[in-house]
Amino acid sequence: MTPLHFENLYRAEWDELESQLTLILDGRTRQKHGLEPIRGERVAELYRRACEHLALARARDYPRYLLDRLESLTSDAHQVIYQRREFGLSRLKRLFAQDFPRAVRAHSTYVWIATAITVVPMLLMGWLVYERPDLILSVLDADSAAEYEAMYSDSAETLGNISGAESRWQMFGFYIKHNIGLSFQFYAAGLFAGIGSIFFMLLNAVVSGALAGYLTERGLSESFYSFVVTHAAFELTALVLTGAAGLRLGHSLIAPGRLTRVQSLTQAARESIVMVYGIFVMLLIAAAIEAFWSSARWMPLPLKYSVAAVCWLGVLAYLAFQGRRAD
Amino acid sequence: MLDSVVAAETPEGILLELRPAGISARCCAYLIDQLIRIAIMYAAAFILMFFGGLGWAFWAILSFLLEWFYPVVFELGRNGATPGKRAMGLKVVMDNGLPITPAASLTRNLLRVADFLPMMFGAAIVSVLLRADSKRLGDLAAATLVVYLPRPAPKATLDMVTPVAPVRALSPRDQSALIALAARAPTLTVERLDELAAMAASVQGESRQPEAEVTRRVLGVAQWLLGRRT
Repeated sequence: MTPLHFENLYRAEWDELESQLTLILDGRTRQKHGLEPIRGERVAELYRRACEHLALARARDYPRYLLDRLESLTSDAHQVIYQRREFGLSRLKRLFAQDFPRAVRAHSTYVWIATAITVVPMLLMGWLVYERPDLILSVLDADSAAEYEAMYSDSAETLGNISGAESRWQMFGFYIKHNIGLSFQFYAAGLFAGIGSIFFMLLNAVVSGALAGYLTERGLSESFYSFVVTHAAFELTALVLTGAAGLRLGHSLIAPGRLTRVQSLTQAARESIVMVYGIFVMLLIAAAIEAFWSSARWMPLPLKYSVAAVCWLGVLAYLAFQGRRAD
Repeated sequence: MLDSVVAAETPEGILLELRPAGISARCCAYLIDQLIRIAIMYAAAFILMFFGGLGWAFWAILSFLLEWFYPVVFELGRNGATPGKRAMGLKVVMDNGLPITPAASLTRNLLRVADFLPMMFGAAIVSVLLRADSKRLGDLAAATLVVYLPRPAPKATLDMVTPVAPVRALSPRDQSALIALAARAPTLTVERLDELAAMAASVQGESRQPEAEVTRRVLGVAQWLLGRRT
Protein backbone atom coordinates (compact mmCIF):
# COMPACT_ATOMS: atom_id res chain seq x y z
CA MET A 1 0.00 0.00 0.00
CA THR A 2 1.41 3.37 -0.99
CA PRO A 3 1.08 6.33 1.37
CA LEU A 4 -1.28 7.98 -1.10
CA HIS A 5 -3.51 4.94 -1.23
CA PHE A 6 -3.46 4.75 2.57
CA GLU A 7 -4.44 8.38 2.84
CA ASN A 8 -7.28 8.11 0.34
CA LEU A 9 -8.62 5.05 2.10
CA TYR A 10 -8.86 6.63 5.54
CA ARG A 11 -9.04 10.35 5.00
CA ALA A 12 -12.81 10.43 5.43
CA GLU A 13 -12.49 8.96 8.95
CA TRP A 14 -9.84 11.49 9.96
CA ASP A 15 -11.94 14.37 8.65
CA GLU A 16 -14.93 13.10 10.60
CA LEU A 17 -12.90 12.84 13.81
CA GLU A 18 -11.50 16.32 13.25
CA SER A 19 -14.93 17.87 12.78
CA GLN A 20 -16.29 16.08 15.86
CA LEU A 21 -13.36 17.39 17.93
CA THR A 22 -13.93 20.98 16.82
CA LEU A 23 -17.58 20.55 17.73
CA ILE A 24 -16.66 19.38 21.21
CA LEU A 25 -14.06 22.08 21.75
CA ASP A 26 -16.46 24.78 20.57
CA GLY A 27 -18.51 24.03 23.63
CA ARG A 28 -22.06 23.04 24.18
CA THR A 29 -23.65 26.15 22.75
CA ARG A 30 -23.55 24.71 19.24
CA GLN A 31 -25.07 21.49 20.42
CA LYS A 32 -27.94 23.41 21.94
CA HIS A 33 -28.59 25.18 18.69
CA GLY A 34 -29.24 21.85 17.04
CA LEU A 35 -26.18 21.84 14.82
CA GLU A 36 -24.53 18.51 14.12
CA PRO A 37 -24.78 16.38 17.25
CA ILE A 38 -21.69 15.09 19.06
CA ARG A 39 -21.57 11.31 19.05
CA GLY A 40 -19.32 10.18 21.87
CA GLU A 41 -19.17 6.52 20.94
CA ARG A 42 -18.23 7.36 17.39
CA VAL A 43 -15.48 9.73 18.57
CA ALA A 44 -13.96 7.00 20.74
CA GLU A 45 -14.09 4.54 17.86
CA LEU A 46 -12.57 7.00 15.39
CA TYR A 47 -9.87 7.85 17.91
CA ARG A 48 -8.85 4.23 18.30
CA ARG A 49 -8.79 3.84 14.53
CA ALA A 50 -6.62 6.93 14.15
CA CYS A 51 -4.20 5.54 16.76
CA GLU A 52 -4.00 2.34 14.77
CA HIS A 53 -3.34 4.30 11.58
CA LEU A 54 -0.63 6.31 13.27
CA ALA A 55 1.11 3.16 14.47
CA LEU A 56 0.94 1.70 10.96
CA ALA A 57 2.18 4.91 9.37
CA ARG A 58 5.12 5.05 11.77
CA ALA A 59 6.03 1.44 11.25
CA ARG A 60 5.95 1.90 7.46
CA ASP A 61 7.94 5.15 7.45
CA TYR A 62 5.17 7.02 5.66
CA PRO A 63 5.85 10.61 4.63
CA ARG A 64 6.15 13.21 7.32
CA TYR A 65 2.98 15.12 6.45
CA LEU A 66 0.84 12.03 7.11
CA LEU A 67 2.55 11.39 10.45
CA ASP A 68 2.17 15.06 11.43
CA ARG A 69 -1.52 15.07 10.68
CA LEU A 70 -2.17 11.83 12.56
CA GLU A 71 -0.01 12.90 15.49
CA SER A 72 -1.83 16.17 16.02
CA LEU A 73 -5.20 14.48 15.48
CA THR A 74 -4.59 11.74 18.03
CA SER A 75 -3.08 14.06 20.61
CA ASP A 76 -6.07 16.44 20.36
CA ALA A 77 -8.50 13.55 20.66
CA HIS A 78 -6.54 12.13 23.60
CA GLN A 79 -6.94 15.44 25.47
CA VAL A 80 -10.68 15.49 24.84
CA ILE A 81 -11.40 11.85 25.59
CA TYR A 82 -9.40 11.52 28.81
CA GLN A 83 -10.27 14.92 30.21
CA ARG A 84 -11.45 14.69 33.79
CA ARG A 85 -14.08 17.09 35.03
CA GLU A 86 -13.90 17.31 38.79
CA PHE A 87 -15.81 20.50 39.36
CA GLY A 88 -19.38 21.07 40.36
CA LEU A 89 -21.53 20.91 43.42
CA SER A 90 -22.07 17.16 43.40
CA ARG A 91 -18.32 16.64 43.57
CA LEU A 92 -18.09 19.12 46.44
CA LYS A 93 -20.93 17.42 48.25
CA ARG A 94 -19.26 14.04 47.93
CA LEU A 95 -16.02 15.54 49.20
CA PHE A 96 -17.55 16.60 52.51
CA ALA A 97 -20.14 13.83 52.83
CA GLN A 98 -17.61 11.06 52.23
CA ASP A 99 -14.14 11.73 50.93
CA PHE A 100 -12.77 14.02 53.64
CA PRO A 101 -13.85 12.07 56.76
CA ARG A 102 -12.89 8.82 55.04
CA ALA A 103 -9.45 10.17 54.20
CA VAL A 104 -9.02 11.13 57.85
CA ARG A 105 -9.95 7.62 58.97
CA ALA A 106 -7.70 6.09 56.32
CA HIS A 107 -4.84 8.06 57.92
CA SER A 108 -5.86 7.20 61.47
CA THR A 109 -2.38 6.06 62.52
CA TYR A 110 -0.92 9.38 61.40
CA VAL A 111 -3.77 11.25 63.08
CA TRP A 112 -3.14 9.52 66.43
CA ILE A 113 0.60 10.19 66.23
CA ALA A 114 -0.04 13.84 65.37
CA THR A 115 -2.52 14.07 68.26
CA ALA A 116 0.11 12.70 70.64
CA ILE A 117 2.77 15.08 69.32
CA THR A 118 0.39 18.00 69.88
CA VAL A 119 -1.43 17.11 73.09
CA VAL A 120 1.33 15.60 75.23
CA PRO A 121 3.79 18.52 75.00
CA MET A 122 0.90 20.96 75.34
CA LEU A 123 -0.32 19.46 78.63
CA LEU A 124 3.23 18.96 79.91
CA MET A 125 4.24 22.53 79.14
CA GLY A 126 0.98 23.84 80.58
CA TRP A 127 1.51 21.99 83.83
CA LEU A 128 5.19 23.05 84.05
CA VAL A 129 4.40 26.73 83.51
CA TYR A 130 1.48 26.54 85.94
CA GLU A 131 3.86 25.22 88.60
CA ARG A 132 6.71 27.59 87.76
CA PRO A 133 5.37 30.68 85.92
CA ASP A 134 8.82 32.07 85.15
CA LEU A 135 9.24 29.20 82.67
CA ILE A 136 7.00 31.17 80.29
CA LEU A 137 10.11 33.20 79.55
CA SER A 138 11.67 30.16 77.90
CA VAL A 139 9.16 30.38 75.06
CA LEU A 140 8.07 34.04 75.07
CA ASP A 141 9.94 37.20 75.94
CA ALA A 142 8.72 39.26 78.87
CA ASP A 143 7.02 41.90 76.73
CA SER A 144 4.82 39.50 74.78
CA ALA A 145 3.97 37.61 77.97
CA ALA A 146 2.74 40.85 79.48
CA GLU A 147 0.88 41.65 76.29
CA TYR A 148 -0.99 38.35 76.35
CA GLU A 149 -1.79 38.92 80.01
CA ALA A 150 -3.25 42.34 79.23
CA MET A 151 -5.19 40.88 76.30
CA TYR A 152 -7.18 38.50 78.50
CA SER A 153 -7.46 40.77 81.53
CA ASP A 154 -10.88 42.14 82.36
CA SER A 155 -10.09 45.76 81.70
CA ALA A 156 -9.68 47.70 78.50
CA GLU A 157 -10.36 46.84 74.87
CA THR A 158 -9.19 43.26 74.70
CA LEU A 159 -9.19 40.35 72.34
CA GLY A 160 -11.97 38.75 74.33
CA ASN A 161 -14.00 41.91 74.29
CA ILE A 162 -13.81 43.46 70.88
CA SER A 163 -16.53 45.89 69.99
CA GLY A 164 -17.47 47.04 66.54
CA ALA A 165 -17.95 45.14 63.33
CA GLU A 166 -14.90 46.68 61.73
CA SER A 167 -12.34 45.23 64.09
CA ARG A 168 -14.05 41.85 63.96
CA TRP A 169 -13.72 41.79 60.20
CA GLN A 170 -10.11 42.80 60.67
CA MET A 171 -9.54 39.82 62.95
CA PHE A 172 -11.32 37.57 60.45
CA GLY A 173 -9.01 38.68 57.62
CA PHE A 174 -5.97 38.23 59.79
CA TYR A 175 -6.95 34.72 60.93
CA ILE A 176 -7.55 33.61 57.35
CA LYS A 177 -4.27 34.94 56.04
CA HIS A 178 -2.24 33.84 59.02
CA ASN A 179 -3.75 30.55 60.16
CA ILE A 180 -4.62 29.00 56.83
CA GLY A 181 -1.32 30.10 55.27
CA LEU A 182 0.53 28.60 58.23
CA SER A 183 -1.36 25.34 57.96
CA PHE A 184 -0.48 25.03 54.26
CA GLN A 185 3.15 25.54 55.25
CA PHE A 186 2.95 22.82 57.92
CA TYR A 187 1.69 20.43 55.29
CA ALA A 188 4.39 21.26 52.74
CA ALA A 189 7.11 21.05 55.40
CA GLY A 190 6.17 17.39 55.89
CA LEU A 191 7.87 16.68 52.57
CA PHE A 192 11.23 16.72 54.36
CA ALA A 193 10.85 13.30 55.97
CA GLY A 194 8.09 14.67 58.20
CA ILE A 195 10.59 16.64 60.27
CA GLY A 196 9.11 19.99 59.26
CA SER A 197 5.63 18.95 60.33
CA ILE A 198 6.84 17.54 63.65
CA PHE A 199 8.82 20.71 64.35
CA PHE A 200 5.85 22.98 63.67
CA MET A 201 3.49 20.80 65.71
CA LEU A 202 5.86 20.78 68.68
CA LEU A 203 6.43 24.53 68.44
CA ASN A 204 2.72 25.23 68.29
CA ALA A 205 1.95 22.84 71.16
CA VAL A 206 4.69 24.14 73.45
CA VAL A 207 3.84 27.81 72.96
CA SER A 208 0.08 27.41 73.34
CA GLY A 209 0.50 25.04 76.29
CA ALA A 210 2.83 27.44 78.04
CA LEU A 211 0.47 30.32 77.41
CA ALA A 212 -2.51 28.41 78.79
CA GLY A 213 -0.56 27.41 81.91
CA TYR A 214 0.66 30.95 82.46
CA LEU A 215 -2.73 32.60 82.06
CA THR A 216 -4.36 29.98 84.30
CA GLU A 217 -1.79 30.65 86.98
CA ARG A 218 -2.50 34.37 86.68
CA GLY A 219 -6.19 33.73 87.38
CA LEU A 220 -7.35 34.64 83.88
CA SER A 221 -8.56 31.15 83.08
CA GLU A 222 -12.19 32.16 82.67
CA SER A 223 -11.68 34.77 79.96
CA PHE A 224 -8.95 32.70 78.25
CA TYR A 225 -10.76 29.36 78.05
CA SER A 226 -14.12 30.84 77.17
CA PHE A 227 -12.37 32.62 74.31
CA VAL A 228 -10.43 29.72 72.83
CA VAL A 229 -12.61 26.70 73.54
CA THR A 230 -15.14 27.09 70.72
CA HIS A 231 -12.90 27.75 67.76
CA ALA A 232 -10.33 25.30 69.10
CA ALA A 233 -12.77 22.54 68.12
CA PHE A 234 -12.04 23.41 64.50
CA GLU A 235 -8.59 25.00 64.70
CA LEU A 236 -6.81 22.54 66.95
CA THR A 237 -8.34 19.58 65.12
CA ALA A 238 -7.40 21.07 61.76
CA LEU A 239 -3.81 21.61 62.91
CA VAL A 240 -3.57 18.01 64.10
CA LEU A 241 -4.94 16.83 60.75
CA THR A 242 -2.45 19.07 58.92
CA GLY A 243 0.34 17.48 60.91
CA ALA A 244 -1.02 14.03 60.05
CA ALA A 245 -1.13 14.89 56.34
CA GLY A 246 2.44 16.21 56.54
CA LEU A 247 3.59 13.05 58.34
CA ARG A 248 2.04 10.98 55.57
CA LEU A 249 4.11 12.87 52.96
CA GLY A 250 7.29 12.41 54.95
CA HIS A 251 6.63 8.75 55.72
CA SER A 252 6.02 8.00 52.04
CA LEU A 253 9.58 9.08 51.30
CA ILE A 254 11.20 7.25 54.22
CA ALA A 255 9.35 3.97 53.68
CA PRO A 256 8.14 3.74 50.09
CA GLY A 257 7.45 0.01 50.36
CA ARG A 258 7.28 -1.68 46.98
CA LEU A 259 7.01 1.58 45.04
CA THR A 260 9.79 3.90 43.94
CA ARG A 261 10.18 6.93 46.19
CA VAL A 262 8.65 9.24 43.59
CA GLN A 263 5.66 6.95 43.01
CA SER A 264 5.18 6.62 46.74
CA LEU A 265 5.29 10.41 47.17
CA THR A 266 2.79 10.92 44.35
CA GLN A 267 0.40 8.44 45.92
CA ALA A 268 0.77 10.00 49.38
CA ALA A 269 0.12 13.47 47.98
CA ARG A 270 -2.94 12.29 46.07
CA GLU A 271 -4.43 10.72 49.18
CA SER A 272 -3.46 13.35 51.73
CA ILE A 273 -4.49 16.39 49.66
CA VAL A 274 -8.11 15.34 50.30
CA MET A 275 -7.47 16.12 53.98
CA VAL A 276 -6.13 19.54 53.04
CA TYR A 277 -9.46 20.45 51.38
CA GLY A 278 -11.25 19.67 54.61
CA ILE A 279 -8.64 21.41 56.75
CA PHE A 280 -9.09 24.54 54.65
CA VAL A 281 -12.83 24.65 55.32
CA MET A 282 -12.36 23.84 59.03
CA LEU A 283 -9.94 26.72 59.40
CA LEU A 284 -12.36 29.06 57.59
CA ILE A 285 -15.03 28.10 60.12
CA ALA A 286 -12.54 28.53 62.96
CA ALA A 287 -11.61 32.02 61.70
CA ALA A 288 -15.26 33.04 61.51
CA ILE A 289 -15.99 31.71 65.02
CA GLU A 290 -12.87 33.28 66.48
CA ALA A 291 -13.64 36.68 64.97
CA PHE A 292 -17.40 36.89 65.44
CA TRP A 293 -18.40 34.52 68.23
CA SER A 294 -15.46 33.96 70.59
CA SER A 295 -14.85 37.68 70.75
CA ALA A 296 -18.33 38.42 72.08
CA ARG A 297 -17.62 38.48 75.79
CA TRP A 298 -21.05 39.74 76.85
CA MET A 299 -22.36 36.25 75.99
CA PRO A 300 -23.24 34.30 79.16
CA LEU A 301 -20.58 31.71 79.91
CA PRO A 302 -22.90 28.67 80.12
CA LEU A 303 -24.11 29.42 76.59
CA LYS A 304 -20.52 29.74 75.33
CA TYR A 305 -19.46 26.49 76.91
CA SER A 306 -22.49 24.59 75.64
CA VAL A 307 -21.91 25.85 72.08
CA ALA A 308 -18.28 24.81 72.44
CA ALA A 309 -19.32 21.34 73.62
CA VAL A 310 -21.65 20.98 70.65
CA CYS A 311 -18.85 22.06 68.28
CA TRP A 312 -16.35 19.59 69.73
CA LEU A 313 -18.78 16.70 69.70
CA GLY A 314 -19.94 17.63 66.21
CA VAL A 315 -16.42 17.81 64.75
CA LEU A 316 -15.26 14.57 66.37
CA ALA A 317 -18.44 12.71 65.44
CA TYR A 318 -18.22 14.01 61.88
CA LEU A 319 -14.64 12.79 61.51
CA ALA A 320 -15.38 9.47 63.18
CA PHE A 321 -18.69 8.50 61.62
CA GLN A 322 -19.56 10.53 58.50
CA GLY A 323 -19.56 8.38 55.38
CA ARG A 324 -19.01 5.14 57.29
CA ARG A 325 -21.48 3.31 55.09
CA ALA A 326 -19.18 3.85 52.10
CA ASP A 327 -16.08 2.58 53.92
CA MET B 1 19.72 13.58 21.10
CA LEU B 2 20.06 16.93 22.78
CA ASP B 3 16.30 17.39 22.95
CA SER B 4 14.86 16.72 26.38
CA VAL B 5 11.70 15.06 25.14
CA VAL B 6 9.55 13.08 27.54
CA ALA B 7 7.39 10.51 25.80
CA ALA B 8 4.03 9.81 27.40
CA GLU B 9 2.41 6.59 26.28
CA THR B 10 -1.36 6.52 25.94
CA PRO B 11 -3.48 3.42 26.61
CA GLU B 12 -3.84 3.08 22.84
CA GLY B 13 -0.12 2.52 22.58
CA ILE B 14 0.89 5.74 20.86
CA LEU B 15 3.55 8.09 22.15
CA LEU B 16 2.90 11.78 22.87
CA GLU B 17 5.97 14.00 22.91
CA LEU B 18 6.22 16.49 25.79
CA ARG B 19 9.03 19.02 26.00
CA PRO B 20 9.76 19.93 29.65
CA ALA B 21 10.70 23.55 30.26
CA GLY B 22 14.08 24.24 31.83
CA ILE B 23 15.05 26.43 34.71
CA SER B 24 15.48 29.77 32.89
CA ALA B 25 12.06 29.79 31.23
CA ARG B 26 10.40 28.82 34.50
CA CYS B 27 12.28 31.48 36.49
CA CYS B 28 11.18 34.16 34.03
CA ALA B 29 7.58 32.93 34.19
CA TYR B 30 7.70 33.03 37.99
CA LEU B 31 9.11 36.56 38.03
CA ILE B 32 6.39 37.79 35.66
CA ASP B 33 3.70 36.23 37.85
CA GLN B 34 5.30 37.72 40.94
CA LEU B 35 5.28 41.20 39.38
CA ILE B 36 1.61 40.81 38.44
CA ARG B 37 0.77 39.76 41.99
CA ILE B 38 2.66 42.65 43.51
CA ALA B 39 0.94 45.08 41.13
CA ILE B 40 -2.49 43.72 42.11
CA MET B 41 -1.61 43.95 45.81
CA TYR B 42 -0.52 47.58 45.50
CA ALA B 43 -3.57 48.53 43.44
CA ALA B 44 -5.85 46.82 45.96
CA ALA B 45 -4.09 48.46 48.88
CA PHE B 46 -4.52 51.84 47.22
CA ILE B 47 -8.27 51.38 46.75
CA LEU B 48 -9.02 49.54 50.03
CA MET B 49 -7.06 52.19 51.96
CA PHE B 50 -10.20 54.34 51.89
CA PHE B 51 -12.30 51.74 53.68
CA GLY B 52 -10.45 51.62 57.00
CA GLY B 53 -10.55 48.41 59.01
CA LEU B 54 -12.96 46.66 56.67
CA GLY B 55 -10.67 47.49 53.77
CA TRP B 56 -7.74 46.01 55.63
CA ALA B 57 -9.71 42.83 56.26
CA PHE B 58 -10.47 42.41 52.57
CA TRP B 59 -6.89 43.19 51.67
CA ALA B 60 -5.68 40.43 54.00
CA ILE B 61 -8.10 37.93 52.45
CA LEU B 62 -7.14 39.05 48.94
CA SER B 63 -3.44 38.67 49.67
CA PHE B 64 -4.10 35.20 51.08
CA LEU B 65 -5.99 34.20 47.94
CA LEU B 66 -3.34 35.66 45.65
CA GLU B 67 -0.56 33.91 47.51
CA TRP B 68 -2.07 30.43 47.41
CA PHE B 69 -4.74 30.29 44.73
CA TYR B 70 -3.53 32.58 41.96
CA PRO B 71 -1.65 29.76 40.17
CA VAL B 72 -4.37 27.19 40.88
CA VAL B 73 -7.11 29.28 39.26
CA PHE B 74 -5.06 29.95 36.13
CA GLU B 75 -3.74 26.42 35.77
CA LEU B 76 -7.28 25.03 35.86
CA GLY B 77 -8.38 27.59 33.30
CA ARG B 78 -8.50 27.17 29.56
CA ASN B 79 -4.79 27.74 28.97
CA GLY B 80 -3.47 25.57 31.77
CA ALA B 81 -0.95 28.27 32.61
CA THR B 82 -0.52 31.40 34.71
CA PRO B 83 -0.06 34.65 32.74
CA GLY B 84 3.70 34.40 33.32
CA LYS B 85 3.91 30.86 31.98
CA ARG B 86 1.72 31.83 29.06
CA ALA B 87 4.01 34.70 28.20
CA MET B 88 6.94 32.27 28.16
CA GLY B 89 5.01 29.76 26.02
CA LEU B 90 4.68 27.23 28.85
CA LYS B 91 1.86 25.12 30.17
CA VAL B 92 1.30 22.76 33.10
CA VAL B 93 0.07 19.27 32.25
CA MET B 94 -0.09 15.91 33.99
CA ASP B 95 2.98 13.82 33.21
CA ASN B 96 0.83 11.50 31.10
CA GLY B 97 0.04 14.41 28.79
CA LEU B 98 -3.48 15.08 30.05
CA PRO B 99 -4.87 18.40 31.27
CA ILE B 100 -4.03 19.11 34.91
CA THR B 101 -6.55 18.04 37.57
CA PRO B 102 -7.67 20.32 40.43
CA ALA B 103 -6.04 18.07 43.05
CA ALA B 104 -2.71 18.06 41.21
CA SER B 105 -2.76 21.82 40.73
CA LEU B 106 -3.42 22.41 44.43
CA THR B 107 -0.74 19.91 45.44
CA ARG B 108 2.00 21.44 43.30
CA ASN B 109 1.15 24.94 44.43
CA LEU B 110 0.94 24.15 48.15
CA LEU B 111 4.25 22.30 47.97
CA ARG B 112 5.92 25.36 46.46
CA VAL B 113 6.73 26.20 50.09
CA ALA B 114 8.87 23.05 50.33
CA ASP B 115 10.51 23.96 47.03
CA PHE B 116 11.40 27.36 48.42
CA LEU B 117 13.47 25.89 51.28
CA PRO B 118 16.17 26.32 52.45
CA MET B 119 16.18 29.69 50.69
CA MET B 120 15.45 31.22 47.28
CA PHE B 121 13.89 28.04 45.87
CA GLY B 122 17.03 26.03 46.65
CA ALA B 123 15.24 22.67 46.67
CA ALA B 124 13.41 23.47 43.43
CA ILE B 125 16.60 24.54 41.67
CA VAL B 126 18.46 21.38 42.66
CA SER B 127 15.55 19.18 41.62
CA VAL B 128 14.97 20.93 38.27
CA LEU B 129 18.67 20.83 37.38
CA LEU B 130 19.16 17.20 38.35
CA ARG B 131 16.12 15.73 36.68
CA ALA B 132 15.84 15.19 32.92
CA ASP B 133 12.14 16.07 33.07
CA SER B 134 12.84 19.29 35.07
CA LYS B 135 10.33 18.59 37.82
CA ARG B 136 10.46 20.48 41.08
CA LEU B 137 9.38 18.75 44.32
CA GLY B 138 5.79 19.91 43.90
CA ASP B 139 5.71 18.48 40.39
CA LEU B 140 7.03 15.17 41.68
CA ALA B 141 4.30 14.90 44.28
CA ALA B 142 1.53 16.07 41.95
CA ALA B 143 2.79 14.07 38.92
CA THR B 144 2.73 17.21 36.80
CA LEU B 145 5.07 18.58 34.18
CA VAL B 146 5.74 22.12 32.95
CA VAL B 147 6.07 21.83 29.18
CA TYR B 148 6.56 24.08 26.18
CA LEU B 149 3.45 24.60 24.11
CA PRO B 150 3.83 22.82 20.79
CA ARG B 151 5.23 25.36 18.38
CA PRO B 152 3.58 25.61 14.98
CA ALA B 153 5.94 24.08 12.42
CA PRO B 154 7.66 26.67 10.20
CA LYS B 155 6.13 27.02 6.77
CA ALA B 156 8.07 24.81 4.40
CA THR B 157 5.96 24.91 1.24
CA LEU B 158 7.82 26.56 -1.63
CA ASP B 159 5.31 27.32 -4.40
CA MET B 160 7.86 27.75 -7.19
CA VAL B 161 9.41 24.29 -6.73
CA THR B 162 7.80 21.32 -8.48
CA PRO B 163 7.45 18.22 -6.27
CA VAL B 164 9.82 15.33 -7.01
CA ALA B 165 9.26 11.80 -5.76
CA PRO B 166 12.22 10.47 -3.74
CA VAL B 167 14.04 7.55 -5.38
CA ARG B 168 14.40 5.59 -2.15
CA ALA B 169 12.50 5.10 1.09
CA LEU B 170 13.37 7.75 3.65
CA SER B 171 13.27 7.33 7.41
CA PRO B 172 11.16 9.83 9.38
CA ARG B 173 14.35 11.52 10.60
CA ASP B 174 15.65 12.00 7.07
CA GLN B 175 12.26 13.33 6.02
CA SER B 176 12.23 15.82 8.88
CA ALA B 177 15.72 16.98 7.91
CA LEU B 178 14.68 17.61 4.30
CA ILE B 179 11.54 19.49 5.36
CA ALA B 180 13.55 21.57 7.81
CA LEU B 181 15.93 22.45 4.96
CA ALA B 182 12.98 23.57 2.83
CA ALA B 183 11.72 25.71 5.71
CA ARG B 184 15.12 27.38 6.06
CA ALA B 185 15.71 27.79 2.32
CA PRO B 186 14.37 31.36 2.05
CA THR B 187 16.74 32.55 4.79
CA LEU B 188 19.92 30.96 3.40
CA THR B 189 22.31 32.33 0.80
CA VAL B 190 22.26 30.53 -2.53
CA GLU B 191 25.77 29.15 -2.02
CA ARG B 192 25.03 27.76 1.42
CA LEU B 193 21.74 26.27 0.25
CA ASP B 194 23.53 24.52 -2.64
CA GLU B 195 26.14 23.21 -0.24
CA LEU B 196 23.54 21.77 2.11
CA ALA B 197 21.39 20.37 -0.67
CA ALA B 198 24.43 18.64 -2.17
CA MET B 199 24.68 16.51 0.99
CA ALA B 200 21.19 15.21 0.32
CA ALA B 201 21.71 14.80 -3.42
CA SER B 202 21.17 11.05 -3.28
CA VAL B 203 17.46 11.36 -2.54
CA GLN B 204 16.57 12.76 -5.96
CA GLY B 205 18.36 10.24 -8.15
CA GLU B 206 19.69 12.41 -10.96
CA SER B 207 23.47 12.71 -10.89
CA ARG B 208 25.72 15.05 -12.89
CA GLN B 209 23.34 17.96 -12.79
CA PRO B 210 24.36 21.58 -12.21
CA GLU B 211 24.29 22.55 -8.53
CA ALA B 212 21.20 24.76 -8.85
CA GLU B 213 19.27 21.92 -10.46
CA VAL B 214 20.25 19.47 -7.69
CA THR B 215 19.10 22.00 -5.09
CA ARG B 216 15.79 22.46 -6.88
CA ARG B 217 15.21 18.73 -7.05
CA VAL B 218 16.14 18.19 -3.37
CA LEU B 219 13.70 20.91 -2.35
CA GLY B 220 11.21 19.26 -4.70
CA VAL B 221 11.55 16.02 -2.72
CA ALA B 222 10.80 18.01 0.44
CA GLN B 223 7.64 19.34 -1.24
CA TRP B 224 6.63 15.80 -2.15
CA LEU B 225 7.14 14.76 1.48
CA LEU B 226 4.86 17.60 2.56
CA GLY B 227 2.09 16.01 0.54
CA ARG B 228 2.22 18.16 -2.62
CA ARG B 229 1.90 16.13 -5.77
CA THR B 230 1.68 18.79 -8.50
